[in-house]
Amino acid sequence: MKTASITRRLFLLSTGAAATGLIVGCSSAATKSKGYSSIAGAFEPNSFIQITPDNQVIFYLPSSEMGQGILDGLTTLIAEELRVDPTAIDVRHASLHSDYKNPELRFQGTGGSNATRTQFLPLRQAAADTAAAIRNAAAKQLNQPAHKLLLADGHVTAEGRRYAFGEFVALAALMPMPENSPLRGPAQFDQIGRERPRLDALAKSTGIAVFGIDAEVENLYRAVVVRSPVLGAPLKRFDATAALKQPGVVDVVEIRTGVAIVAQSYWQARKAASALELDWEKTELASWSSDSIYQKFTQTLNDSSQKGLKCCDEGEGDKLLNQAQHVVSADYYAPYLAHATMEPLNCTVAVDGDNCAVYLGTQYVEASAGAVVYYGDFDADKVKVHPAFLGGGFGRRGLGDDVAEAVVIAKKTGRNIQLVWSREDDMSNDFYRPAALVRMQAGVSEQGLIETWAVRRVGPNVLDHILDQWVDVLAPDYLNKGFVDWLSKLGRPLFKRFIADPSSADGIFSDYDMPNKAVRHVAQDPGLRTGLWRSVGHSSNAFFKESFIDELAQRAGIDELQFRLANMKNNPRLTEATELVAAKAGWGKALPGGHFHGLATHSSFGSAVAQIAEVSVEGTKIVVHKVTAAIHCGLVVNPGIVRDAVEGGIIFGLTAALHGEITLVDGVIQQSNFHSYPMLRMADAPKVEVHIVESQEHPEGVGEPGLPPLAPAVANAVFKASGQRLRDLPLRLT
Amino acid sequence: MINFQLNNTSVQVDIDPDTPLLWVVRDHFKLKGSKFGCGMGLCGACTMHVNGEAVRTCTLPIAAVQGAAIISIEGLGTPDNLHPLQQAWVEHSVPQCGYCQSGQLMSASALLQKNPNPTDDDIDVAMNGNICRCGTYSKIKSAIKSGAEVMRTQESIVETFDPASGKSIVKEASS
Ligand code: FES
Ligand code: FES
Repeated sequence: MKTASITRRLFLLSTGAAATGLIVGCSSAATKSKGYSSIAGAFEPNSFIQITPDNQVIFYLPSSEMGQGILDGLTTLIAEELRVDPTAIDVRHASLHSDYKNPELRFQGTGGSNATRTQFLPLRQAAADTAAAIRNAAAKQLNQPAHKLLLADGHVTAEGRRYAFGEFVALAALMPMPENSPLRGPAQFDQIGRERPRLDALAKSTGIAVFGIDAEVENLYRAVVVRSPVLGAPLKRFDATAALKQPGVVDVVEIRTGVAIVAQSYWQARKAASALELDWEKTELASWSSDSIYQKFTQTLNDSSQKGLKCCDEGEGDKLLNQAQHVVSADYYAPYLAHATMEPLNCTVAVDGDNCAVYLGTQYVEASAGAVVYYGDFDADKVKVHPAFLGGGFGRRGLGDDVAEAVVIAKKTGRNIQLVWSREDDMSNDFYRPAALVRMQAGVSEQGLIETWAVRRVGPNVLDHILDQWVDVLAPDYLNKGFVDWLSKLGRPLFKRFIADPSSADGIFSDYDMPNKAVRHVAQDPGLRTGLWRSVGHSSNAFFKESFIDELAQRAGIDELQFRLANMKNNPRLTEATELVAAKAGWGKALPGGHFHGLATHSSFGSAVAQIAEVSVEGTKIVVHKVTAAIHCGLVVNPGIVRDAVEGGIIFGLTAALHGEITLVDGVIQQSNFHSYPMLRMADAPKVEVHIVESQEHPEGVGEPGLPPLAPAVANAVFKASGQRLRDLPLRLT
Repeated sequence: MINFQLNNTSVQVDIDPDTPLLWVVRDHFKLKGSKFGCGMGLCGACTMHVNGEAVRTCTLPIAAVQGAAIISIEGLGTPDNLHPLQQAWVEHSVPQCGYCQSGQLMSASALLQKNPNPTDDDIDVAMNGNICRCGTYSKIKSAIKSGAEVMRTQESIVETFDPASGKSIVKEASS
């Protein structure tokens, strides 16, 4: 291992954001501004790549690295077309710039498992054009025909002599920039598809990778916030007399969400927090408890006068339901869930006159910058976001609530501050995966084909509260018009009254050939804020759909695998994944005594995943021994990362399936830390085997699709092991 | 004034005696590799070695480490001079988000100091206090096993950490 150069690169990686001058608010596509600050003498063909005369190749990563491996994946794309070893590239987190917009979201952010899919061609094109520019410059400088030059490993070879790219950057910068240079074909790929350790493994195995919480600036004070026990309740009054006398405390200020204590150290601030006296207003949420919420949902589910919003109507809808040979109906429930990212939320703010710099890990750089502008009242061009690694994202990090608090504290106290949420703050002030109660109904023919699929879903929407948050934060007019348009199309009242929030029903009526469908959603929201939780609507909807599919197969007396295959004739990707997993896990073959297989199949974010869980039951304890998975995600950039992401989704999904539940009593969340919201630990982690369907199709998502099939695969196995059909999450045997 | 050894260097600090070691190391000594995850001893992100034992430092008051020898992830190894477990972590491509991994490595290295050839069950027990939200458990386990194998075949080494250069200095002990 070339350790010296690796150390240098890691250093750059870990301080990349701080070293990067940023340009904020360059919304005009006409200007040729780049997303990074210039380096003297470097070739700077686009906002993604810089090559210096001393052969440093820098790649500005437009997506947030939160564990999903996108740093590795996108750097591999650059390496492939630029003809540079990926381990020789200095990767830096890109700051805010219009060139880094997520092509699908239309703003700068990372979510929906779409980074590889959307960047696969644009980033390769940027790198291929850059390589072509180096080639042209080398041809001219060496007086050789361009086609005779060989580009590999960061060097140009001409007549047996090797020249580093750096030798040609001065000339390349002066020559016309090539466009639409041919991309390498799959047969030529030597980086894409190759398995090697992920590029950020070393930084993350030595403690030098910089996360948001590791930010340090001059004269930094630490802040904590005391918020209402009932999320979102306004402050009535507070008395800081005692808190202000605590050692190290320098300020106590009221902010929108509660009261902030600023001290010299985190510990001083945290201790002083308990000396605050506070009174909160009563809100509607305080009148709800988990039991009453469940009762209300049940009442609504049974109240046919509440028609709900249409999510899907196809064929005859549910008109023919009762004419089918087998008519099955069952109600399912999924609870609220917290994200519990390993790194609690935090945000560091440094104010210097009119300038504001924020340091944090964020999925949505643009929302974080918008929050500084909106809540801190700073000019957009005076704001700098310094993105860091994320200690987990899962849809939680970057919604703007962290920045909103931190920037106001900094502004009100006139100090540089680091706001750190405790685990308790994090768990009780989340944007929760919404709870849902659903009635699944289906009519199945004598031959075992699904004729009618009818779903009635009751519960809060996924997007309502996020949009409340973002419309404010992202409205400042320097933000791109498209994004504001996109947002304004999705206003909260809209979901309640006119159209169904598409995320809420995601995946509940997909995958199978169901000629007649009627899917309705009755939005019912006790007021606990909800949001995007790894795989979003699919996280609960796959459980409903795939458990119910097993119920249908069993009613029709058909093997669960055969029933699925017969009903997914128009779903070749899922069919391939299902057949692969069945073969690998040995579906139908003998298992050790007391062990049972459960199958679930589900497509999300462009990819198809099938899983078989091997489960036994000991008393009321569910033991998951092994999960075999197959994924069809198109062409694979790094197979190791695909397997890791699917395994990660399985472990995340199993934590939720066996333990995950956020409950309320009088509006107060009952879970506070890992004793009451437990995580799967090593001893309970099943053996996981992930198989990848070979494919040359366009790459699809992998960060989320591994999660949805897990809970139903386990529940389906539990049914076989115990005879109990568990229709509520988390899975609990009685 | 509290005196202790931090990564084999004598240090002293004058700070509220109930301040947890984690925050002293992170915010006073500016060694940021050890992480805050729960503050209740439940997740292991803050694990360091205290006199050779893996300890959750988010609940360990600084007063309790008077005279103790503390090793944090920065003292375990550096990119230029990896501990065999860190080498195994890289080769097995263990980290996802990476936030828990310093703590995982400190628990694993404390285990191997006592038990150079742990069984699966030994590993499960020793690693039970460390949560990985990203689900890297199976890779952690494989990496511990291959790191252990490398260590068993190596001569014992003596390692010190030079805070000025940020490098660890390794000497082979005469066996
Ligand atoms: S932060 Fe110390 S155990 Fe979680
Ligand atoms: S790698 Fe993310 S928590 Fe372990």
